[in-house]
Amino acid sequence: MTRDIRALATLGRLAVRRVDTALGWLAGRGADTNLGRLAVRGVDAARAAIDRARDAARHPPRRARLERFGAILQLTVPRALVFVDRAFARRTVAIGPGAAEPAVWAAPETAVGDAPLSAPLEAHLQLTNRCDAGCRGCYTGASPEGARGEWGLAEWTRAIDELAEAGVFHVALGGGESAVLPWLGELADHCRRRGIIPNLTTSGLAGLDRLLAISDRFGQINVSLDGLGPAYAAVRGFDGFARADAAIRALRRVKREVGINVVVTRASFGELDPLFAYAAEHRLSEVELLRFKPSGRGAHAYAELRCTDAQHRAFFPAVLAAARRHAVRVKVDCSYTPMLAHHRPDRALLAELCVYGCTGGDFLVGAKPGGQLTACSFAAPPPAAADAARPRITELRAYWDGPDAFGAFRRWRDAREPCASCEYHALCRGGCKVVSAHTTGDPSAPDPECPRVVDRAALGAGSGAPRVHLPVLSRDRE
Amino acid sequence: MTASPASCYSAVVRRGRILAIKWGMNPNSSSLGVDVTFLLVGATVLAAVTPVIGALLRWRRPVALAPAAATKPGDIA
Repeated sequence: MTRDIRALATLGRLAVRRVDTALGWLAGRGADTNLGRLAVRGVDAARAAIDRARDAARHPPRRARLERFGAILQLTVPRALVFVDRAFARRTVAIGPGAAEPAVWAAPETAVGDAPLSAPLEAHLQLTNRCDAGCRGCYTGASPEGARGEWGLAEWTRAIDELAEAGVFHVALGGGESAVLPWLGELADHCRRRGIIPNLTTSGLAGLDRLLAISDRFGQINVSLDGLGPAYAAVRGFDGFARADAAIRALRRVKREVGINVVVTRASFGELDPLFAYAAEHRLSEVELLRFKPSGRGAHAYAELRCTDAQHRAFFPAVLAAARRHAVRVKVDCSYTPMLAHHRPDRALLAELCVYGCTGGDFLVGAKPGGQLTACSFAAPPPAAADAARPRITELRAYWDGPDAFGAFRRWRDAREPCASCEYHALCRGGCKVVSAHTTGDPSAPDPECPRVVDRAALGAGSGAPRVHLPVLSRDRE
Repeated sequence: MTASPASCYSAVVRRGRILAIKWGMNPNSSSLGVDVTFLLVGATVLAAVTPVIGALLRWRRPVALAPAAATKPGDIA
């Protein structure tokens, strides 16, 4: 009997390998029809779902968290955080027979976004600032020496404990290059034990062997790939494409949920379609597009590398066309919301898909290599209170509800024109505060690269002549 | 008969609704990535998918919250 089961299992494994080989061949040939591409995607997604279900059984992730509007529920198959109202939460969260109404529901029910969440959905942990690559646009200004006072495994373990107590669902681990850290696997294990799903970004340029051995501990791994061949060097300042490409291939051989992060620059904007084709050919699970930010060394390269206004306006249709053509899942980062809103998509649909602009200090927080808490990875840590040190990620719960926590990031409702009258403002929240701070010196200023803001500035600067205000007609006279 | 969690608060319980769905996970450690693939297919497909997600959530056993912690904001399970 046991021998029969073993034989069946072997046959099953062989069959799966055959299917994989066939799909690889199909994907490699470009799977010339949309139907072919979708078939490859569908089989990959189904097999990834089976892997995830197995992982979730081994290390159950956090499944729910109460919020003022109701609750956030986590699904692993399909992967989703589902925001539900109180009535739905009562049916799906067992608060306990006879238990009192949760205090968080004592106040009237709100809508999503009316108030900050009870804790972030995810935390972005910059585990180290060590990296040998020296990319000219590096947003953390990483160096081979790293930052002073970098935390080790013990401190980051405490940080994960704090995040777990707060109710955080996911962490995104990055650097520097975190893959070189000898304790990365141990930290990922600790995240799993505490019900947090760890995800990782790597350059693929170092620490690959170690990463391959622990890749199954991560929910999703994305490799930074800012262009193909010479385009990579044009963005990063050195030719690292072959190494990044080798890392992607190696990771994809051992893990299904591997994607690429692409920082979109003036030079690489025209390369987006080939990048989607690359992702389809290698059967990657997603392409995530990131706007170039003026942070770290990126502040010096910003004027040269940032996209033009015309590229920003063309971004959304170009991305959707490429995603459709190659049947690849696409994500865009929060700073692109003004460029999406420019095309006036259905606001209700954006809200249902959680497409928000700057949610730093609300949906997400960041932590520097020494544990300093930030609203997002690009932002400076909040100023220290009188006779106190800057808040650390291990003090998240104490800081979260404090007065003026996260400063301008939480004050997005006090918007100026043209944001104040923009119908997308409740979603976009004024665009990227890091770009605003760099360009105007004020993080609260409207995102200067938003097409609406550009248009308004152009109108104001138009002829140089004083503006003529048209008479306002009252309703009685209309 | 033990009262089900759903009937604890009111005799007439609304089914409730899904307000938003954030798809996927975000490995990017520098900003929050959102899946916009659904914008390719529009609201109709999302309207078809949402009830399936709702059914999945209702189908699984209700997530238990520790009674002692259940009255604090941000309760988790």
